[in-house]
Amino acid sequence: MELIDFIGIWIAAFLTLCIYSFLYRDNPFYRFAEHLFVGMSVGYTITISIYQGFIPFAWEPFWEAIKPFWPGVPREAGWSGLWKLIPIGIGLLFFGGVSPRYTWLIRYPSAILIGLGAGLAIPNVLRADIFEQTRGTVEPFASINAGTLSIWGILGAILMVVGVVCTLIYFYFSVEHRGPVNWLSKVGIAFLMIGFGSAFGNTVMGRVALLIQRVDFLINDWIGSFGALF
Amino acid sequence: MKRQVPLVLCFLFGVVMCFTQFSPHQYSQAVYNEVINWALIMAPFALIFGTITLIQTHVTRIRRRIEHWQYSFVVFAGLLTMAFIGILFGPQDPAFEWLFNNVQVPLDATMFSLLAFLIASAAFRAFRARTFEATLLLIAAMIVLIGNVPVGDLIWNTVLSWLPWDNGASETRQWILGNPNLSARRGIILGVSLGVISQAIRLILGIERSYIGGGD
Repeated sequence: MELIDFIGIWIAAFLTLCIYSFLYRDNPFYRFAEHLFVGMSVGYTITISIYQGFIPFAWEPFWEAIKPFWPGVPREAGWSGLWKLIPIGIGLLFFGGVSPRYTWLIRYPSAILIGLGAGLAIPNVLRADIFEQTRGTVEPFASINAGTLSIWGILGAILMVVGVVCTLIYFYFSVEHRGPVNWLSKVGIAFLMIGFGSAFGNTVMGRVALLIQRVDFLINDWIGSFGALF
Repeated sequence: MKRQVPLVLCFLFGVVMCFTQFSPHQYSQAVYNEVINWALIMAPFALIFGTITLIQTHVTRIRRRIEHWQYSFVVFAGLLTMAFIGILFGPQDPAFEWLFNNVQVPLDATMFSLLAFLIASAAFRAFRARTFEATLLLIAAMIVLIGNVPVGDLIWNTVLSWLPWDNGASETRQWILGNPNLSARRGIILGVSLGVISQAIRLILGIERSYIGGGD
């Protein structure tokens, strides 16, 4: 084992134990690891955002456009890169938020990003979340019509439609939940509870898998590295 | 000017992004791609501004000696180390990758694995079968949990060996996930989607303007 790998394993083990020390109670080791995690995550995100967003989409086209202003540098690209000055300029308005006097400048880039996101959301949500989900709900009935679905499949298809409709009725507040609507919304609650229970079970499994992975690291990698000490 | 221009910008970009997706014309696609590029260019500035706000918050904590202010230096140390090495040498630099693999990944995984313990104590409180709904939640969660691990089928095949089908734990789990769970999820997705669309329309039309904030 190389020294750099050995140091890496010991640092990772120390930080893992720091986090798990919270199981006893809040303590300086946990707070140290928690704050380090925040700082490093932000540093990592900034780096990735700059290298995967700003440099390829803004800096490189812009640099190609301003190259001829540098003496002795041959011109290869057109002037279109100067176009990137507009989003760069708008992006710089975010820094208006640093001074309370110019905080209002943030509204311009925020409005563009929010408008853009809203405009993107309408057709995409319609397509992926409404049409596709509705199609998935009613599609098995085509198989029933074709006679290719088993009795369990038919029951599953009916149960699916009943579940979706009842769940939607539970969230439908424009009519008072009385009489048949109340009963249907109660069925919707039952489906929701099964859904939440399944989601909970899956979440627990995911977290336990992570826990097993960390314990495996401590036992095999960290304790296994003790041999390199002697 | 300070309030009207952002509303106009939001409307213009919203309408353009919405309609360009319905048109396969080359100009429409060019506009679509260019605006997406604009968003990718502007997003890092928002992130850097967020980082400045984080730094300001921690500087204030240090200056005012707020409880646990010493840990703000740890935030700075982590942030500066990662950003300095990453921005200067690139994300493929061995030092950056070493820090990512040996510090950030273990911290990330351990922090989320810690939730296994917290979720267990939450489950103890949530899973008390006091009502019919709570009982359904409990049964669904238990079946999904047991059906997820091989020991579930082992128990089924041993204890319930007189039943006509094998591996019932994992199959029951699969049936729950594929039928009642999926129908509830679809109901939720459909409801949320309708909400997202109505909110997007409100934003584009300037009815929802809370992002502008107060003041003139």
